[in-house]
Amino acid sequence: MKLDRPDRPERLDALAAQYALGTLSPRARRRLARIGEREPAVVAALRAWEFRLAGLADAIPPQAPPERVWTAISARLGLAGAPKPTGRHRTRSWWSSLALWRGLAFAGVAAALVLGLRVLAPVTEAPGPAIVAVLAAADAKPVLLATVERGGRILSVKAVAPIAIPAGRSLELWALPDGKAPRSLGLVDAAGAVRIALPAPAADVLQGVPALAISLEPAGGSPTGAPTGPVLYTGRIERI
Amino acid sequence: MDDTAAARRSEALADLLARTALADERAFAELYRLTSSHLFAVAVRILRDKAAAEDALQEAFVSVWHHAGSYVAAKSRPQTWLTSIVRNRCLDHLRRRVPDTMTLTRDDDEGEIDLPATGPTPVELLLSGADAAMVRGCVDALDGGQKQAIALAFFQGLSHSELSVQLREPLGTVKSWIRRGLERLKSCLDHAGMAGL
Repeated sequence: MKLDRPDRPERLDALAAQYALGTLSPRARRRLARIGEREPAVVAALRAWEFRLAGLADAIPPQAPPERVWTAISARLGLAGAPKPTGRHRTRSWWSSLALWRGLAFAGVAAALVLGLRVLAPVTEAPGPAIVAVLAAADAKPVLLATVERGGRILSVKAVAPIAIPAGRSLELWALPDGKAPRSLGLVDAAGAVRIALPAPAADVLQGVPALAISLEPAGGSPTGAPTGPVLYTGRIERI
Repeated sequence: MDDTAAARRSEALADLLARTALADERAFAELYRLTSSHLFAVAVRILRDKAAAEDALQEAFVSVWHHAGSYVAAKSRPQTWLTSIVRNRCLDHLRRRVPDTMTLTRDDDEGEIDLPATGPTPVELLLSGADAAMVRGCVDALDGGQKQAIALAFFQGLSHSELSVQLREPLGTVKSWIRRGLERLKSCLDHAGMAGL
């Protein structure tokens, strides 16, 4: 695969086109995929061609797959309704999934930007929030801001973007302790700010808690003490 | 599907993908409900074997569950992203089978092929797909041979050798049709703003 020649971008593009179409020989296909694992330029070329061509498949007449395919997917991922070991195991997989944590990484960066924090400033006598979490959905746009003053016991949660809640539902805030089940911190408002009184200084209450999440619950909150509705927003807790 | 209906559907799918990324099982199930028939049809056409297509669909959705977080709405439509995942799985499967000559026997045993007896041909699919994507002009600009070769490769996953047999043309001709056809498509599609469609 002569990708080191001077006309490399054109050659790469031609190979990527054939990869996406499907006409590369088996060996060339495997090799290009392997190179793609370590070279962003190759991945970019492959993705660009895939996206150019994939849209052309839209007119294929649909064909319903047998039920057993969904059953198999469900069982393999341990989704609700599929056989799984214990309830506790299920809660853990709910919030410790890789996708969730990847989303949190973005929210952490968003925290610094939204508050204009100078993250490198000395911590000792800094006034202002000591614990901050910016809650966002997968698009990483900040939606809610949770802050606690240094040594404080009041968790302030404020909406910084519009949130639409269906009638008869509430937003519930959860602490996500590492390795344990989510713990409710109370309900939050879709508009305005809410001040949640914590049972102890925030540093203690949030000890061992890397992140917060908001789920959509029935009015008044989850009836079970565990999240029952979809997770709408998550945010990593930054300690400043 | 007209423009606004398509845009609404894209938005709905993007939302479901975002919630799937947050491990929302109901959103994932709904995503499956809305897209699995299209994706299964894509797989059946390429693999020409229902059982293999079922496996490919399962693998694809397991992948979607784990990687929904890497879908970026600004870069492509959700349908396109999903279709790419399925196509890649199918092509990897096809190309993992030993030499190209072995897959030529697919055509000999009509009984094994699970394609519907009637229905659009690959070129017809290419034309209507291009219509749906509003790039019909780009496909129309291809030569007959280029259209045929690209359509068969894209929808049925035929390799160069298989194309050569199917179209009764020398290998070199078929390769050239593919290469030139893709080059022409690229400039036209990019001009139409389709990169990252």
